[in-house]
Amino acid sequence: MADDVRRWSDELARDPASLVFLPLGETLRRQGQLDLALKIAMRGLERHSHNADAHDLLARISVDRGELQRAFDEWDMVLRLTPSHVGALKGMAFVRYQQGNTAEAEQYLQRAAEQGGDAAIDAARAKMRGAGQGARDAGRGAISDELPARSAPLATHHASDSRALFADILGEHEQTALLLDDQGLVLAGVYLGEDGSDVGAEVGAELSGMTDSARRAARHLDIGDWRAIVLETEVAVVTMGPSAGDGLLLVAASKATPLGLVRRVLDRCLERARRWLEGGR
Amino acid sequence: MISPFGALLGTLTRLRGVRASLVVDENDGIVVESNLQIGQDGDRVAALAASLYRKARLSARAARLGTATFMQLEAERGRICAAGHNDLVLVVVADPAANIGMIRVEMIKAAGALP
Repeated sequence: MADDVRRWSDELARDPASLVFLPLGETLRRQGQLDLALKIAMRGLERHSHNADAHDLLARISVDRGELQRAFDEWDMVLRLTPSHVGALKGMAFVRYQQGNTAEAEQYLQRAAEQGGDAAIDAARAKMRGAGQGARDAGRGAISDELPARSAPLATHHASDSRALFADILGEHEQTALLLDDQGLVLAGVYLGEDGSDVGAEVGAELSGMTDSARRAARHLDIGDWRAIVLETEVAVVTMGPSAGDGLLLVAASKATPLGLVRRVLDRCLERARRWLEGGR
Repeated sequence: MISPFGALLGTLTRLRGVRASLVVDENDGIVVESNLQIGQDGDRVAALAASLYRKARLSARAARLGTATFMQLEAERGRICAAGHNDLVLVVVADPAANIGMIRVEMIKAAGALP
């Protein structure tokens, strides 16, 4: 195992975009090196923000760290990306179970069973229906597999469906997209910062301020309505386009991404946003 | 007087679809040197483009995206491109059908030569 960790670490050092961060992070998690595992998972997510397994890894690490709601949100993201992900359903059941919400936990187990879950899920559901602390303790292992049991206060946050609106367009590339309203507030999409947290609100607020200047410049120079802004920086390529209701769509990609590709992704995301705002998808 | 930017702007203005090229002080939006086709209002272009580029640069930094290197505003009937270095901004106004790839390459190269 130590050899594997060394080999994966070397490979990741050679190629930071490698997917070996997944087994490496999981192994470190199992070894109890949670801070290191978290760091590996975060870095992986920076480059693979729409990889379901990466979010699953972060969720597992979060559970081990006692951050149940964060784990739930990450598994929720996994389901947006891969709706039939049994591991995510079991994980969300585990979190709800730990939070004392047995009814919702059972709903997630039901969905996991429908997706072809294993016998342990059926056993957990049967025991859960028996209610009582004994059943709760017995069901824990089946729900959580190797996840340790932790307690956490019940949180009320519910991740929004809209976070994964552009996921299939963006794919596994190092790209992210945000749809903002006319106030610069996030309507859809996600933007992960260096630490893996969603910094969409912050980035959106800062960049949306550019549109007023763009509108003013286009008007005074008599070049018609603005269609897109392309901004290249040391680390990223950002394209922005106007969406319905004076909103803004922003697509960001790593500096290595071809400019023309980012521009095409912006057009596709604009079309998706238009349909979504009109009520369909 | 021989302008230090004359040759640089001349190269840009000769590119297909370019209507104007200017070197502008980013802080006050005042033209340092320009090469304009007839009908282009250099002062207005300079002020607006410098303001837009400054806003883009500050927004990128605030969003933790690093230093801005190139910006393009695409509109129905034209494009504004800007690339900065220190306090100077190189600005190009171009037609919608201009070869933006070539303009971008030349501008980034030229911006690197600004003092």
